[in-house]
Amino acid sequence: MKECAKIKRMLSRYIDKEASNSDIKRIEAHLGLCASCKNELSSLARVKGLIAGVERKVLPQNYLAARVREKALDMRYTQRKLSLAGMGSFARRLIPVPIAVIVASIAFIIVVSAQTANKYSFEDHVFSGNPATAETALKLILGTQNYIEEVD
Amino acid sequence: MDEDTLFIHKFLDGDEKGFEALVNKYQDRVLNIACSIAGKDRDGEDIAQETFLKVYYGLKSFKRNAQFSTWLYRIAVNTAYSCMRKRDRYVKDENVLEASISTDAGPKDALLIKEKQAMLKKALMKVPVKFRAAMVLKDIEGLSYAEISKVLNCRIGTVESKIYRARQFLKEELLKIEGGAI
Repeated sequence: MKECAKIKRMLSRYIDKEASNSDIKRIEAHLGLCASCKNELSSLARVKGLIAGVERKVLPQNYLAARVREKALDMRYTQRKLSLAGMGSFARRLIPVPIAVIVASIAFIIVVSAQTANKYSFEDHVFSGNPATAETALKLILGTQNYIEEVD
Repeated sequence: MDEDTLFIHKFLDGDEKGFEALVNKYQDRVLNIACSIAGKDRDGEDIAQETFLKVYYGLKSFKRNAQFSTWLYRIAVNTAYSCMRKRDRYVKDENVLEASISTDAGPKDALLIKEKQAMLKKALMKVPVKFRAAMVLKDIEGLSYAEISKVLNCRIGTVESKIYRARQFLKEELLKIEGGAI
């Protein structure tokens, strides 16, 4: 009985043609004498045959490759979206900063160009022949005075 | 240099055609392993897709001292296990089986074949998953014990034992279903 248990465990290897020559001799010698093990062998062989006969599925060429490519692209897109979303709260907080800088720059350019266009500059004052007091010069340089103060 | 290595080099050099060639070569084998382990055709396709997606992203880290097919089958088996774990959290019933039959036989014969295939699949799903994968790799994919031991990362003796146990389970299940026809 012990030999039967050992042989039965070796039967799968025997059916699969993975048994060594010495094992094959041992198994075949036992099978010649033991009907129970012989039955076991035919049952296992039939099971193997049934499983080998399971219908095999066949996919059209490029079908799975296209699915994988699509999924990979989708994952890449989602990943990019997620990484942007991850930075979103931080980025959103920073959005007013460049906007404010741009608005301030535009306002500065408008005001300065308007002032420059109408400005009576220090150079104009000097060339006008009017007396250039220290106070007038400072006001003109700082742009706090942009008109000719009548000097008598 | 074998064909797989050429395809891998092509892909790693930036040519997606290399990856396509690998998928086309192995898609049916991976699909059949996945379907036989997971038991559902729809899951099988998803598992196959997931497997190749892992290959797509992991090919750079693939160690060339192993065979590509061994690495691929290992990913497929592990992905199938993982899919089953997720699925079993939601669905406990594994009896919902689908069988798509393509045959030239007449409608009556086709029905009989379909029933037989469904019965076989049902019995296969009763085999504990820890033994099932080894049997699937042997009897459906025709891998050697040495290859299976690499895919399942276990000793050849363990592979032998798993295959034997799986066949025993399957035999008993078929006996229950067929009532002694085995």
